[in-house]
Amino acid sequence: MAASSTALSPRSPFSLQRILRWGLYLTPVAIFLAIFLAVSSGEFSGLTSQGIIDTLLFVVPLIIVLLVGALVLQFLLFQFLDKVVKTPHAMPYTLLAPAVVALVLFMVYPLIFNVLLAFSDLRRETFPCYSSVLTRAPDLDCSVLYSPQYAVENFTKVFFRVRDGEIVRDENGNPEFGRLLRTRDSTFPILLARTIIWTLVNVFFHVTIGMALAMIMNQKIRFKGIYRSLIVIPWAIPGIIVYLTWKQEFHAQYGFVNNLIEAFGGQAISWLDDPFYAFVAIIFVNVWLGIPFYMVMLLGGLQSISAEYYEAAQMDGASALQRFRNITIPLLRPILIPAITLDVIWTFNKADLIVAMTNGGPSESTNILVTGLYNAAFGTAATLEFGFASAFSIIIFIILFLFAIIWITTSGGLKEIYDR
Amino acid sequence: MSAITTARSSSSPDGLDWKQIRRYGAIGLVVLGALVTLLTGFNLGWLVIGAWLGLLVWQPFHAILIFYSIISIYPVLRVISISLRPTSGLLSRSLDIIPPGATLDSYAQIFSEEAFLAWLWNTIVITVTVSIIGVIVAATGAYAFSRWRFPGRRPALIFLLTTQMIPAGMLLVPLYVIVAQLGLTNNISGLMLAYITTAVPFSIWILKGYYDTIPPDLEEAAMVDGCNRLESFWRIILPLSTPALSIVFLFNFLGAWAEFLVAKVILVSPDVWTWSLGLNDLIGTFNTDWGKYAAGSVIVTIPVLLLFTWQSKYLISGLTLGGVKG
Repeated sequence: MAASSTALSPRSPFSLQRILRWGLYLTPVAIFLAIFLAVSSGEFSGLTSQGIIDTLLFVVPLIIVLLVGALVLQFLLFQFLDKVVKTPHAMPYTLLAPAVVALVLFMVYPLIFNVLLAFSDLRRETFPCYSSVLTRAPDLDCSVLYSPQYAVENFTKVFFRVRDGEIVRDENGNPEFGRLLRTRDSTFPILLARTIIWTLVNVFFHVTIGMALAMIMNQKIRFKGIYRSLIVIPWAIPGIIVYLTWKQEFHAQYGFVNNLIEAFGGQAISWLDDPFYAFVAIIFVNVWLGIPFYMVMLLGGLQSISAEYYEAAQMDGASALQRFRNITIPLLRPILIPAITLDVIWTFNKADLIVAMTNGGPSESTNILVTGLYNAAFGTAATLEFGFASAFSIIIFIILFLFAIIWITTSGGLKEIYDR
Repeated sequence: MSAITTARSSSSPDGLDWKQIRRYGAIGLVVLGALVTLLTGFNLGWLVIGAWLGLLVWQPFHAILIFYSIISIYPVLRVISISLRPTSGLLSRSLDIIPPGATLDSYAQIFSEEAFLAWLWNTIVITVTVSIIGVIVAATGAYAFSRWRFPGRRPALIFLLTTQMIPAGMLLVPLYVIVAQLGLTNNISGLMLAYITTAVPFSIWILKGYYDTIPPDLEEAAMVDGCNRLESFWRIILPLSTPALSIVFLFNFLGAWAEFLVAKVILVSPDVWTWSLGLNDLIGTFNTDWGKYAAGSVIVTIPVLLLFTWQSKYLISGLTLGGVKG
C-alpha cells in the first residue's frame, strides 16, 4: 500500500518531497498573512482587518466548542452506554454519535419539517404566522397553521389545475394539468418526461464514453499519465465555474462553440435562446463534466481484472466482443452498478448546473423536476408558496426512491456493500 | 473493441501490411488537409483536422486520447486566455489562446472594483471548517460501520444511501424556512453545519468501503501489543487509510468551496457572499464582466487544482479499492 511504504522508507531531512510538503503546509499561512497585510492599512476589496478578526472570533470558538463539546459528550455517552445501559455495542454507538446528531439536526429534522410544511399554507403573505421572530400584520389570519386540507390542496396542485378549490376539467371531463411555473408547458408530466430524457441521455454517454476511454487507457500506450491528468481536469474544476464558463462559451456571438462552427463555414446557432439547442448544450456540459469520474472508476476496475482471464479466453478462441461481454462486463459489475446508481441519482438531482446555465430558460423549456422545484420556490417564477413547494419535493423524492428501489433490487448491485 | 484488435495485430492473415497502409493513409489525409487549407483561403483549421484524421488512421488510441484531452482542457485554456485580454478586446471572436496585448488588468480590477477578497475570505473560512470537521465526523462514524455489527447497522447504511436521493430542493425549502424563522439569514454558521451534514453520508460510505479492505488482524495484533481499540484505530487504521481520507477531504473541500444553490438562498446580503455568488453576479447582470469573471475563476480554481494534483495519486486507489473486493 502506498501510504505504508512511504511511511517506512527513510528520508533525508532535505528531500524534495519534504520541502514540497512543508511548502504545501505553509501556503495557507502565507495566504493568510498576505490577506492580512493587504487589509492592514484599511479596507481592501471589501475586506477590513476588523472583519477578519470578527469572523475568526466567531468561527474559532465555534470549532473549539464543537470539537471539545463532541469529545466530552462522547465520553459521557460511552460511560452511560457502557455502565448504565450495559450494551456490548457502546463503542460503535459512541463513534457514530456525532454523525447521527449532525444528520438528525440538519437532514432528518428538515425532512420531517418538510413533510409538515406540505400540511401548511406557508406563503409570502402568511410567513409571519409561522415565525416567532417576524412581526405580524394586524389583519393576518393565523388561526389554522397546519391542516390536512392544506396538504390535499398542495398535493393536488402539483398535478392538476385548481381554481377555487376545484380541479379544472376540460370539456371531456378530464382534469387539466396544473402549471408548476408560469408557462403552459411547465406541467408535471412534461417536466417528468424531460427529467427522464435528461437522466438517460447523460448516464448513457457517461457510461459509454467513460468506458471507451478507460479501455483505451488500459492498453499499453505511452504518455498515459499525461492523458490521465488532462482528462481528469473537468472534474477538478469547481462546478459553478464550469457552468458559468460554458454558459459564456455557448454565447451566440462570442462563445468559442459558435466561433469554431463559423471558422469551418457553418451557421452560428443561438444556443441558449433556442429550447432544443439549450437542452443540447446543458446535456453536453453535464456529459463533459461526468466522464472523468467514470473513466477513473472504470479504469481502476479494469486494472483489477487479471490478464489471465483474457489470455485463457483468447486460447479458447473467444472474439474481442465475446471477451468484452463475458469477462469485462461481469467483472466490472461491482463497480459499474454502484457507479450507475449514484450517477442516475446525481443527474436526476442536478439542479445547480441548469440553474446557473439557463435557469430553466428559454421560456422554462429546460427545466427538469428539481429546477422546476427550485424555481417554484426561489427562482424566476417564485411565488414563495413553500407549502406547495414542499409537496412538490416530496413527490420528486418518491419518484426517485421508487426508481432506486426497483433498480437496486433488480440489479442486486449494492448487496455486497451491506453484506460485508 | 474491434478497433482495438485492428490496432494490435498490425500484419493481418490476408498478407496485407496494414501498418504500411495506415501510414500511407495518414500521410494522404494530412496532405488532403493541407490542400483544403490552401483552397479555403488559408483556414488553418482544415490542416488541423487533416492532421488529426491522419493520426487517427496511424495511431487511433493516441488520436482519440489527444482529441478528448483537448476537449477537456480547451475551455480551461479559454478562461485563462480571456482573463488576459485587455478591456478593449474583451468581446473578441478570436480563438487565440494568448490574446494580442495580453495584460493582467482583469486581475487587478476584480480586486479593486469588486469585493473579491471578502468573497474569498468568507469561502475560505467556510471551507476549512467544513473539511476538517467533516473528515473527523466521517472517519469515526465509518469505523463503527466497518468493524462492529450492531443493531441498526443495516437500516443506518440504507438511510445513508437514501440521503443521496434527496433532491437539493427538498432540503432547501425547509432549511430556508427554518433559517428565516430564526432570523438567521446571512449567517455562515448554519451554512457550514448544513455543508458538513450533506457531505457526511458519502464520506462515510467511501471510508467504510476502504476500512473494509484493511484486515482486522492488524488491529488485533496491535491490541495484543497493548493498544486499546481507539489507539489501534488512530495508529493503524487512520495511517493506512490516507488515500480514502484524502478523497473525503477533497470531496468536503470541493463541495463547500464551490457550493452554489444553498448559499444563494441563505446568503442574501453581498457582504457575506462566497465567491460563487459573487462570480455568478458578475455574469448574471446585463453588463457581463467577462474579463473580471475569468480572472476570478482562474484564482479560485488554482487552489483546487493544486489540491487535486497533490492528491491525484490517491484518487483511484481511494475511490475504487473500496468497491473492489480486496
